Amino acid sequence: MTDYGLFLFVMGLLALGFRRPFLWVLAYCYVDIVAPQQVSWHLLASIPLSLIVFAAAFGGWLLVDDKQGSRFTYRQALLCLLLVYCGYTTLVADFPEEAATKWSWVWKALVFAIFLPLTLRTRLRIEAVTLVMVLSAAAIIISGGIKTALGGGGYGSLALLVDNNTGLYEGSTLAMVAVAIIPLIVWLARHGTIFPKHWTVTLFALALAFACLMIPVGTEARTGLLCLGVLAVLALRTARRRFLYVMLGALALLAAIPFLPKSYTDRMNTIESHQSDESASTRLAVWAWTWDYVGEHPLGGGFDAYRGNKIRYQRKVTEVSGSAAEIESSYVEDAGRAYHSGYFEMLGEQGWPGLILWLWLQASGLWQMERIRWRWKHRTGPGEQWQAPLANALQLAHVIYLVGALFIGIAYQPFILMLIGVQCGLWSYLKRIDAPAPDRRIDRARRPAMVAAAPERAAEA
Amino acid sequence: MVDLFALALTHGLLALAAWRLVQRADLDRDPGGEDEDRPRFRKPAPRD
Repeated sequence: MTDYGLFLFVMGLLALGFRRPFLWVLAYCYVDIVAPQQVSWHLLASIPLSLIVFAAAFGGWLLVDDKQGSRFTYRQALLCLLLVYCGYTTLVADFPEEAATKWSWVWKALVFAIFLPLTLRTRLRIEAVTLVMVLSAAAIIISGGIKTALGGGGYGSLALLVDNNTGLYEGSTLAMVAVAIIPLIVWLARHGTIFPKHWTVTLFALALAFACLMIPVGTEARTGLLCLGVLAVLALRTARRRFLYVMLGALALLAAIPFLPKSYTDRMNTIESHQSDESASTRLAVWAWTWDYVGEHPLGGGFDAYRGNKIRYQRKVTEVSGSAAEIESSYVEDAGRAYHSGYFEMLGEQGWPGLILWLWLQASGLWQMERIRWRWKHRTGPGEQWQAPLANALQLAHVIYLVGALFIGIAYQPFILMLIGVQCGLWSYLKRIDAPAPDRRIDRARRPAMVAAAPERAAEA
Repeated sequence: MVDLFALALTHGLLALAAWRLVQRADLDRDPGGEDEDRPRFRKPAPRD
């Protein structure tokens, strides 16, 4: 039943693409996020779905779509450079086979992020891609949120639609994305035109935001809690009644604590006592190893270079017997531990050139969204209300990602690369519509030529 | 059951969104043409 439903849905979406090829771009976003070929094991799993939708999206744009208004921005150039550099490090990787496996999905995500902004030529397209990203992630989040509310959570044990720890189906990554899309949900509910403002839309948005809040609880991902905290503080910047917001937030938090499962509060307490926590100690040891590694290999070791690490770290365990507490410390040896941080992942795999490119890409996104916010926030005309809030939502989502990436190896997360694509699209779209009128632009372009031509004419005379 | 509900709800909304999108002319071209100074939309965006 699920198989047939998903199959019909995907086929319907592809069929609608024949009327409007942009729908194929949306179909790719959906397939990349939900991975319906993994949810359904029969019909969709038997065809190379991802390849088909990418070919349709790119072919549709190349052959049918109007290119007027498509611009190539410098952040897309940064993505191109990163793509080429990753390709190079894959060729000279420490672990060629494993590197080739990771390259096989990273290049697609990068290429799509470079391609997506070229298609985002209208306001509606920017809204549509945001909506599809949110609703696709919602398919995973709603089911996870309900299961958590019914008591089905636990670290690494929350059963999501697909049980394979890839993409958004990995607990910590999903927790980060769930928090990151909350600002986008709010924007869609307030400024959406596909589903315009209506009480049903507000109700759905509220329920979805609540499900998003449930995900960090259900997956017991500590990074998720950190992301939530950061979002709560950042939201203060645009909150109109700040005092009320802080009071309500504190009240909601106090009300929520008794309902949190004990396993959750126990796990969150390990944030403080990280010395006894193996996961935290391993991270510190791996990061130290990466720092040393990149000293010897400044150009990086290619994808999955962490497989070469051998780490030794101290672990302290407090044993309480009666009123006395005894701290025992022991050394643990480990090998081939993953980076557990997007920043160190980038540094170890792509070296300094890769990390600099990547950081530039991230920082320029935050900067561009801030500029849009400043440029549009005081405008009051019709059709001028949605720009600043969208830039703000995209910026918040980006900050949440950067916080999440501190502790999760998500340097090439396709969902976030898509988000970067939307940022590039919004930037280039607003730059275009906000430019001086074309006749004035032409005048300005012609003027130097005319000035240059004048002496020649004088000489002829 | 929960999975089925989440899939049905989100896919239903995605399908409705796709259906609404194919019927809107401003998907491919902003109203008023590409060379306009400012975006003008059929429905003005709701004010905050």
